[in-house]
Formats: sequence, C-alpha cells, structure tokens
Amino acid sequence: MNQAYIAGAAMIPMGKHRESSYAGLAVPAVLNALKSAGIDAKTVGAVTCGHAFGGMLTGQRIVKELGIGSVPVVNVDNACSGGATALHLAWKDIIAGRHDVILVIGVDKLTQFGGGPLPLVEEDPEVRLGVVMPAVYAMRARRYLYERGATMDDLAGVSVKARRHGARNPYAQFRSEVTLDQVLQSRPIADPLTLLQCCPTGDGAACVVLVSDAVRRSLSAPSVRIAASVLHSGQVTAGFRDMLRPEISSDCARDAYAAAGFGPEDLDVVELHDAFSIAELIYYEALGLCPPGESANYLRDGKTTYGGEVVVNPSGGLLSKGHPVGASGVAQAVEIYWQLTGRAGARQVDGARRGLSHVTGGGIAGLDHGACTVHVYEAA
Amino acid sequence: MNQAQMTAATSGAGFAGDALPFDDLREPRDPPFVVREGVVYLRGSKSRSSGSQAFPERRVCLDTGACDMEPFLFGPRGTLYSYTTVHVSSSRSVPYTLGYVDFPNGVRVLAHVRESGTGVPAACDQPVELRAEGASWYVVPVAAREEGVK
Repeated sequence: MNQAYIAGAAMIPMGKHRESSYAGLAVPAVLNALKSAGIDAKTVGAVTCGHAFGGMLTGQRIVKELGIGSVPVVNVDNACSGGATALHLAWKDIIAGRHDVILVIGVDKLTQFGGGPLPLVEEDPEVRLGVVMPAVYAMRARRYLYERGATMDDLAGVSVKARRHGARNPYAQFRSEVTLDQVLQSRPIADPLTLLQCCPTGDGAACVVLVSDAVRRSLSAPSVRIAASVLHSGQVTAGFRDMLRPEISSDCARDAYAAAGFGPEDLDVVELHDAFSIAELIYYEALGLCPPGESANYLRDGKTTYGGEVVVNPSGGLLSKGHPVGASGVAQAVEIYWQLTGRAGARQVDGARRGLSHVTGGGIAGLDHGACTVHVYEAA
Repeated sequence: MNQAQMTAATSGAGFAGDALPFDDLREPRDPPFVVREGVVYLRGSKSRSSGSQAFPERRVCLDTGACDMEPFLFGPRGTLYSYTTVHVSSSRSVPYTLGYVDFPNGVRVLAHVRESGTGVPAACDQPVELRAEGASWYVVPVAAREEGVK
C-alpha cells in the first residue's frame, strides 16, 4: 500500500489578526510549510483547504497569491473538522496514487464576528431554541459532575494544564499560566463553564505539505508518516444520548488504531479537541487513553503532562493555542509534525515517536457532533 | 404551485407532490404544543411503519426514511438529563436556561427550563413537567413525590 508523509509544516501565531484577510492569514503558513519541506510551489499537484467561515473559493484566494493555479483546489467545510478533513482528502489522493505533492491548508478568521459564541446555523431547531456550543459542552460538564462525583477543580484543572503548556508555545494565543482560582473566578459563560474553560475567539492558519513515498525520498527534510486517517460523521437519534460517551469520537479512534496497527498505549503525544475544559476529560476516555470513568484521576495524577504517560495538547490545545475552527485540524498536524521531528523547542516531548490528533465539529440537533477526524502519525 | 402541472408519479417527465421541497421554515400555524384540561402536551411525529418517534414534528422517519410520519402527543412529565444557564448570546437576552428532557416514550427534547413556581431547583435526573405561556412552552422541575399525580 502507498504511504503518505508530512514533509513540511508551518502555521502563523494564533491571535486576533483583524487586519488580515483569509489570504493574508494563510499565505505565510503556506510559504513556510513549502520552505520547511524544501518543495517548490510549482510542484504542488493539488490543494485542499479547510475552513468554516471563509466564504467562496477560500483556497483559490490563498494559493493564487503564490502563483499556484490550474491544479485542482478543493474547499472543505466540516465545522471544526474542516482542516482535518482537508488533510484526510489529501491523504486519500496520495494513497490512491493520484498526486505526489498536495498542499493542505486550514484557515479561519473568527474576529469577523465580533466575539461571543460561534454563530451556528439558524435553520437548526435546537439553535432556534438558543443552543450555542458552550451550552452543549456545559450540559456535558453538568452531567459529568453529577455522574462521576467530579469537582469544579477537576474541570478547571484542564485549563490550568492547557495554559501551562501554552505558555511554552510561541504560536499560542494565550501564553500565560493561570491558577485554579483564576479559572473558577472568571465570568460564567454557560454554567458550570467559566470563561477560562472556553477556547478563545481568534484567527489562524496552518499548512502541511503531504507527499508520496517517492517524493519523500528525494527530500532532505525529516518527515512524518500518516499511519491512519479516519473521518466519521454523527449518527442521528431522536432519543437518549449518553453525553459522556461520544460514539463519534470513540468509533473514529477505534478505526484509526485498527488501521495504524498500534493503539493508545503506544502514543507519546496527543493533540485533542479541548474546545472546552470538559471536552478533554471526556475525550481521554473516548480515545482510550484511560479507562471509562477514570479521566478525572488521569488528569489529576499528571498522566497527561510532561513526565506522565502521554503528553496531551503540548501546544496548549484549543484552550490556550486558540481555535480558529477550520484551521485547528491542520494546526494540530503541524504540532504533531514538530513534536515527532524534534522541532518543538521548549515544549518538545522527549523522544516522541508516535502521535494522534483529534477534532470533532459542529452543533446540530440529534447528533453528538457532525464530524470527527482522527489522524495517527509515526516518525518516518 | 399550479396543481394542474403535477403528474401522478415523479419521473423525468414530471413530478408529483413528493418532489416538492418541505416548507420547514414556514411559521407553523399552531404552536408545537397543546393544552388539554390544563395539561401541556408536545406535538411529535410517529412513523406508521417503524413506530419511531421524534420531536419537533417532521416528515421523514429518522430510522428508515419512510415518509409516513403521523402526529401524536406526548408529555407532560419527563426527566431532566442535564441543563445549563447560558450567559452569553449575540441574539437573545441572557441569562436563560436550557436542558435536555427525556420523556417516557424515549424522545429527548431540548427545552427552556424555568425554576420559578414550584420551588424545586433544577438538577440532573430531576422530574420536570411541561408548562405553557402564550405561544411558548417550557419545563419546570417538580418534586419526585408528585410523580403520578395529574
């Protein structure tokens, strides 16, 4: 079977970049990704571009700025999984032997909305009743506290870890540490979630260069093999759903481990979808990092930070690094590339060889989430 | 739509009523609930063939795709699975409280939760009951001991 490799990766520092267009956000990431791979823009055979709010022809608006044209450019919306879905589509084309070099871009600009919760699609009946993403996660958090006997400190502990990790990441939107008290005393967003338990509004772009084995061998840059790339959609129900067991994420991870031939116990580094504090705890279990019911202890015992079993969100995650939704899946792949090639600087996970990235996406009635993407990586 | 243009069956030669788009954004003629003898019930849909039930009313069975949904009423009692008070919104006044309510027929409904009136605070697994005010409906927590009381 053919293999696909990340041969270069880059992103811009995330933050509020109000004076940048979508192209203005993404072009520096594209140029630096090509430069890190040692690949000329003229050799790019296809482009996939994930975004949620970029509007028509986002990818073309970006790549035309460096003279890339004529090749197929596909724009992907899959909410928070948009960027990771773009990576998945590129992976499929490399595996199928259709292209040797594909540019994968993730980009979004949330400052265009002026703050507050992400605008959801008003056609949805639950959105019309007032659902916002913080409310969905808050209901998960409330149920978690109720069923698990967990405490507000357990939730806030996720944010404290995220900010501690992010403080060492120059690309993170938040680069200062916070205390449990600061997290708990920040203003309420959707009870029991406070402001510092919610990912910030921000803008960002990331890019990876995906190549075939033949091209990889011709390059001097280190590469990372994509051991599995899995995309799932949500399954609707009009009835009961266990909000602590998101089947879309656990099924997606299960399929990814089966395709990779190794499992959660073999991972050194994970970038997961911590859009809100509660999400990280739930996803420890869904991704199989710890047994069901053990997530609060797993965090409390330091298993998911440096010196533990697996470093989760060394970048600071969505809570600290930021979450320009369509960019996040690609930004996670950039972080994993940097970690598995020893280029992560002050936040390097020693000897990291295998990693995983996970994003879900979307708030629509009847589904846990609309989309979920899991990628598993191995240093080449 | 001119009914005279429609054919008996939908094909390349013409179309019947089943080719027309759903007018699911049209303001409904009736609210999604009814009040009978002071008791509030929600209007749901039930598939004639599969028996699947759903709220709000819909045209297609979520389990089989069959277009045989029929109206039915359910309520007024359910159980609050989880809830949250929302403090941020760009489109409505805050705070407001939302919760998922599981009804005995298996249908889960997102509802506005109001704590006023019964003196019972919202909690996970707390019994709740439908209420209506004008054209809007919501749930209130009620004491467990009232279970079974009409």
